[in-house]
Order: sequence, then structure tokens, then C-alpha cells
Amino acid sequence: MEGSNPNPVASDALEKKHALMLERLENLRQARKTGSGSGSEAAPSFESVASFLSRFSDAKRSIDAEFSRLRALDPSAKPDVKPQLEALSAMIADLERLVAENSYFLPSYDVRSSLKSISDLKESLDALSAELVPRKKFSFKNKPLKKPQPVVSKEKEEFRVLDDEKSDLGGVRESPGFRNKKGDVLVKQFRVSGEGKGDFSLIDLDSCEVYLKGRFRALFVHRIKNCRIFVGPVLGSVLIEDVEGCLFMLASHQIRIHQAKMTDFYLRVRSRPIIEDCSVVRFAPYQLAYEGIEKELQESGLGEETENWANVDDFRWLRAVQSPNWCVLPQEERIGVVDISDKREQCQDN
Amino acid sequence: MQYKFFLPFFLGASEKGFRDPPCSSITIAMGLLSIIRKIKKKEKEMRILMVGLDNSGKTTIVLKINGEDTSVISPTLGFNIRTIRYQKYSLNIWDVGGQKTIRSYWRNYFEQTDGLVWVVDSSDVRRLADCRMELHNLLKEERLSGASLLVFANKQDIQGALKPEEIVKILNLDAMDKTRHWKIVGCSAYTGEGLLEGFDWLVQDIASRIYMLD
Repeated sequence: MEGSNPNPVASDALEKKHALMLERLENLRQARKTGSGSGSEAAPSFESVASFLSRFSDAKRSIDAEFSRLRALDPSAKPDVKPQLEALSAMIADLERLVAENSYFLPSYDVRSSLKSISDLKESLDALSAELVPRKKFSFKNKPLKKPQPVVSKEKEEFRVLDDEKSDLGGVRESPGFRNKKGDVLVKQFRVSGEGKGDFSLIDLDSCEVYLKGRFRALFVHRIKNCRIFVGPVLGSVLIEDVEGCLFMLASHQIRIHQAKMTDFYLRVRSRPIIEDCSVVRFAPYQLAYEGIEKELQESGLGEETENWANVDDFRWLRAVQSPNWCVLPQEERIGVVDISDKREQCQDN
Repeated sequence: MQYKFFLPFFLGASEKGFRDPPCSSITIAMGLLSIIRKIKKKEKEMRILMVGLDNSGKTTIVLKINGEDTSVISPTLGFNIRTIRYQKYSLNIWDVGGQKTIRSYWRNYFEQTDGLVWVVDSSDVRRLADCRMELHNLLKEERLSGASLLVFANKQDIQGALKPEEIVKILNLDAMDKTRHWKIVGCSAYTGEGLLEGFDWLVQDIASRIYMLD
């Protein structure tokens, strides 16, 4: 909208600006006249270049004198040198203000030269204060906060104590299971009214054959090597961690497999089995037989084949293409129906 | 997150909260708080985050409390969201998978969380140390510092499961920051026992903070 006639508008604005500046300057002068006690030494108005210059050089001379006095100062008098430096800095600031307040009538050359000498003064002040009051070198320090420190260590201690306590607790409260066996045949028969209400663990087994018959609630498997494990229906979930070179035959509502290597899983599972951090694991359908297993499977909601044994989710392979970590076990390599009817409990577990 | 976008608008519109000198940051903070309260009050919404190790029963709890079928639940790959009417409130429940691989994504769900539900498999004694470590890591998170914490000691129906009092000790819950509102409830997502008790407490506690017990 201003495109057609920009100049009048622009000059209008300029004029307004100019008027405002004049008004401000007028106000300043009035203030100087009336409020001579405003504290500023530059207050009196003289409005002549000569008087400004003489005033400026007076002030500068006294500053220079102060400089040489401070430079000659004994370095041992350091403690009280700081306020003196501050006073000097204030003098320079006053001088700067003097220039600023009179700049409106000074020739630009004088303004420039006086500003130059002021910046020189500032520089030498900085140099002087660096010399007299060496600044502390700034650095980030690993200064421990006094308060939190003991709290943290205490917490750690508590944790450690708790760890001990926990292992004690684990000792007292060790869940039923087979632990620390090598080269054994381990059989367990669950009774619905008894242990079938609880969970069972297989921990630290090497080269064992394990037969768990009957229904129970949850199975935990940890650190197993070269074992063959056959399990009846698990009503809840199965959690397998850290196994290698094994064969598992399991029926359960949920199956999670972590850190398994070179292991075959024969599964019947209501939901999708998952693997995480596994390699060379293969899957096939559940084919376990013993007297009464069909009824037990049905009562556990595992009577039907869901085909979920092949619907494996790999948490380390969230892509549409097949995970390289698992595959379906080829038909010809499957072990077929395994009948464990003749396996009887011989030894006490744990 | 969504409330953030509304704030500037309310700052301009609501002057009642700013009667005192505007330089007082406390006044501003209180003003903001009252605005947030007001927005939330309208919707009566609560955002609840369900977390815990894998296999602890988070999804089963959410489905059970929502009256859904719990017989076929696959381990959660990612997360589920359920909006549930609970008393006069609308609960947005974020159920986030607990597998190790995806625990690092929990942080993406911290924003605007009113209530935190930490689910523990009380029968998984071996992994309680992991459980404690993950919980304490979570509680360090500043964005969750105001959230009420409900700990569900799940799977109480399994024989030999640890009791809530034992879980308190092992998870070192008494060592938590004293400003944290928390409670532990033994439950069974399988039978449904204890679930309502836990959610009742959580909703009441959040309501008393956000809606000033209205």
C-alpha cells in the first residue's frame, strides 16, 4: 500500500523520530539544569567543544594518575587493591557518560577520539586488574555435593545388604525345582491338589533328561545345556533364559524364550511365542504322550492345536521378512510322538 | 502432551490466577497449576502407565479390569492403549511391553503420566533383583516425579508366590523418596483378586492431587 508513494510516508516517520529525539534531548538538558545534584559529575552543561575537551582531559589525567599510583603499589597490599580498582572503573564509567551526554553537539571526530581513549583506558584497567588480582582459573571441578554423597553411599549399602538378604530369602524361599544336576534323569509328577498350584524351576542343568508330568502353574528355566526337557500342560507362562543345545517340548498359555542357542522347541501355545536374543532356534508342534495328558491339556485350555508354534515373534527382528534367528523344524528332522508314560518319579526334587 | 498446546491460550484468558504481582514466580506456577487442573477437570481424564518386567502380567491386568477375555494374550510387542471408564473418571491406560529389547522405549510414554502401575511377578524370585533395578531407574525419571505409584504384587494365586510385604523389602520400597505417593497391593490378574482395590487407591490418590477431592 505504500508502494505508490513511499517517500512522504518515510519522511513523515523520519520527522516524527527526529522530533522525538529532540524532545528527549530537551528533557535531558532540563534535567541537567534543574537536577544538578543528580550525582553525575558531568551534570553541568557547557555545550562548548572547548570546555568539554578540557573537562575530558582533566578527568583522563586524574585517571591516568590513579593508574600509575596503582601500578606502583606493593603487591603485598593486594587485599585492599580491589576497592581501588573498582573506584577507578567507576571513574572511567563517569568519563564515558560525560562523552555520551555531550555527544549531541560534539564534532564526530572528537566523539570518536574520546571514545577511543575510553576504550584504551578500559583495556589498561583490565590488564592492571589481571596483574594485581589474578583471576582464579575457571574449571569444572568434580566437587561432590556434601549432603547427597553419604545418602547415596548409604543407599548402595542398603542395596548390598538387601542383595544378601535376598539370597538368604531365596534360600529359604527357593521355589520347587531341579537345580545343579549333571547327566541325570529327572522326573516330577504334579498333583493338582498339591504342587500343581505352584511354579517350578529348572536351573543350572547339564546333559540331563527332564520329565515333568501333570499340570502346574508356571515354569522358569535358566542356564540349561544339552538337555532334553518334556513338560505337561503349564496353565500360566513359561520363561526360558540362557539355554544351549537343548530340546524342549512344552504346552503353555504363554512362552518367552531369551538367549537360546541351537535349541529345538516343540510347542503348543495359546498365544504367540516370543524369542529375544536367540540364534539357531527351531520350532515344531507339541507331540507328547502319557496317560491322561489329553484330559490335562483340555482342562488347561490347551486341548486344541492353535498352530501358534509357528507364529514366533522375534523382538530382535521387528521386520516383515522372516527373522534369520529362527525357523520351522523340517518334518524329517522332528522326533515324532514322545511317550513318557514309563517315566516314574524316583528321586526327591531339589 | 496435548495440554501443552492449550496453555498459551489459557494464559491470556484467565486473569484470576494472576491477581498478585506478576513478578512472583510462585504465583505463576500456581496459576499454571490451577489452569492444568481446570483443563483436566473438564475431561476428568487420568493417564496411567503400566510398566514392569516381561511376564509380570501387565496386559492381563488391563484386560481383566476392562472385563475382556484374558485366555489368549501374546507377549506385548509394542504397547496397548485402553480407555476405561472408572467411577467418574476416564482412565487412559498405556500398557507398554516389558521385554528387555523394548524397555528403552518406556521413556517415550512418561510425559503427562498421572499414575504409574508397576507390576511384579511375585513368583519370579530369581529376577526380583532385575525388577528392583528397573523400578529404581524408572523412579529417578523427573517426568514421573509427580506420579502416584501403585505396585501390583501379581500372581498371588500361584502357590509359593512372595507376599506383598516381602516384595516391599526386596524392592526396597521404603527407601523411596518420602514425597512419593505409593501403595503395594497383592493381586491376581488370573482371578481378578486385588485389582479393584489397587485401582481404587490409585484413582483416589490421583483425584485428590489433580481434582482436589471434588
